[in-house]
Amino acid sequence: METFLSKLTEKRVLFTSSLVVRLVLVAYGDYQDRNMAVKYTDIDYQVFTDAARFVTQGESPYSRSTYRYTPLLAWLLTPNIYLSLLFGKILFIVCDVLSGVLIHKILRLRGLSCKAAGQISSLWLLNPLPVGVSSRGNAESILAALVLGVLLCKEAGHLVWAAVLYGLSVHMKIYPITFGLPIALSLRTLQEGKGGRAWKTSVAFIRSFLNRELLIFTSVAGGVFLLLTALFYFTYGWEFLHETYLYHLTRRDIRHNFSPYFYMLYLTADGRWSFGLGLAAFLPQLVLLMAASWAFHRDLAFACFLNTAVFVSFNKVCTSQVR
Amino acid sequence: MYFPLFIVLTSLSTYLCFVKEDDVQDHCDLLKQWLESSTVSVELNKLGFHREVTATVELRPDVLSGVSVLLVSRWPSGVYVDPYQLASLRDQSDWQILLDSAIDLEAPAHKASGFLTYVYTTNIAPTSTLQKVTIPVHGRYHEPSFAGETFTSVYVEPPELLLRSEKCTHLNRLEPHAVVDAPCTASNSSMCSWVKTHHPQEPSAVSFQLPVGDGSAVALVCGGTLLVTVICCVALSKSTLKHRIR
Repeated sequence: METFLSKLTEKRVLFTSSLVVRLVLVAYGDYQDRNMAVKYTDIDYQVFTDAARFVTQGESPYSRSTYRYTPLLAWLLTPNIYLSLLFGKILFIVCDVLSGVLIHKILRLRGLSCKAAGQISSLWLLNPLPVGVSSRGNAESILAALVLGVLLCKEAGHLVWAAVLYGLSVHMKIYPITFGLPIALSLRTLQEGKGGRAWKTSVAFIRSFLNRELLIFTSVAGGVFLLLTALFYFTYGWEFLHETYLYHLTRRDIRHNFSPYFYMLYLTADGRWSFGLGLAAFLPQLVLLMAASWAFHRDLAFACFLNTAVFVSFNKVCTSQVR
Repeated sequence: MYFPLFIVLTSLSTYLCFVKEDDVQDHCDLLKQWLESSTVSVELNKLGFHREVTATVELRPDVLSGVSVLLVSRWPSGVYVDPYQLASLRDQSDWQILLDSAIDLEAPAHKASGFLTYVYTTNIAPTSTLQKVTIPVHGRYHEPSFAGETFTSVYVEPPELLLRSEKCTHLNRLEPHAVVDAPCTASNSSMCSWVKTHHPQEPSAVSFQLPVGDGSAVALVCGGTLLVTVICCVALSKSTLKHRIR
């Protein structure tokens, strides 16, 4: 058993076996979809595929109702229509395994032994949750790979690449915007000397953000994000902005919602204070994001993890796909 | 010399005409029999918000060829059908469905409107007089109740059975059954006249219950929720800053 486990966490064996496990599940999912009433495939995978079909017909992916992602995803998945319906799932599981590889690389850069890095990354690679999620056709693994790519590039000192990937990941889904805070804090110039008057320290604190690294990161990441947003805005118009970004900000989803705010928002959905309560629900999220970013920005990966946990637990919308 | 030929041709055409007229009459009579003795019933399966409505049509006495069958259902605003789910079921079913309007999948019941579905049976098996159509429907969230009710009822009416035959063109012969206009096929490219079955006693609707929130508890719920989240926020912030990496 011991030797089996150590063999399994050996780098190449681990990466190959985790890809094989996912491929087997994709094949099984295809079998279950054909033969059973309860489908294996995520309902959103149908949404992606329908949107990709609209794109191949020269139409807007937003012709598919409830498609609320970047058009880039629909473009990426056009081989679902031209080649095979399984293309997207293969892409997602490859990104999922890539995420595991990136975790391994980040850990090695941090000075862990190959064995320890293998054991820790196997927590992702052999974890039934990401295995199931990606093989059911959920696109989240693309974002996981992008965010881990940001962390790896940042750790390895490739700041421009980190910024490019960060801009792309915020474009794909808005929530990595919360990682901007710990990234900015980790890039600022460290202050020499302490003490002095309050206004002096606050001026020094603000000045610590004005340095070359942070300027490069912000301009490259912002440039990538704005370029993609402008490109899709001119292609698909207002609908793109609304469905991809604004909808998520103003969302009052009261259907199958696991958020702590669910019942409150349901009862006040048509009330006068609906907007104010939405704002009040946003405040604890903001305070905790700032606290976690400030406290743990020196360990960027941990700060990003905490920010994600805070964002999800205190979010107004929290759903699960069970159908 | 042409006269006998003329006589023969005339009598032949009259005869043919007569036969054709007779055939139409026969067909209309059969259609009328069908209209009078066919029944439609509806039942609900599954539990909770996601239900299945099964409409059963019994066509009697025997099967007519060349007759199209259409079921028109009027749905309340408390439910919706998912057009994409219906499209995915199309391959497995022997019916096609047409919706009269675009459907908002996310609106609550009091902000949504009712809609019509047209179900066309595509192939009537000659041996079976029983047609079953199962449509998955989903309950919408309903407005909270301020009267202390915990459930609200949604009523699903049985569909109307409409028949059409290419061979029976004189629809006015089918009194007392009303003639209505509806799309000819599920492709919705043209309108046709259909005959609606008229039954003196309409079959009753089926209903199911959906939970609704208690609107009178709004202050308590808002206060409690905000209190709990603020307490959690303060406790988490304190412990985060305590364990901060310097």
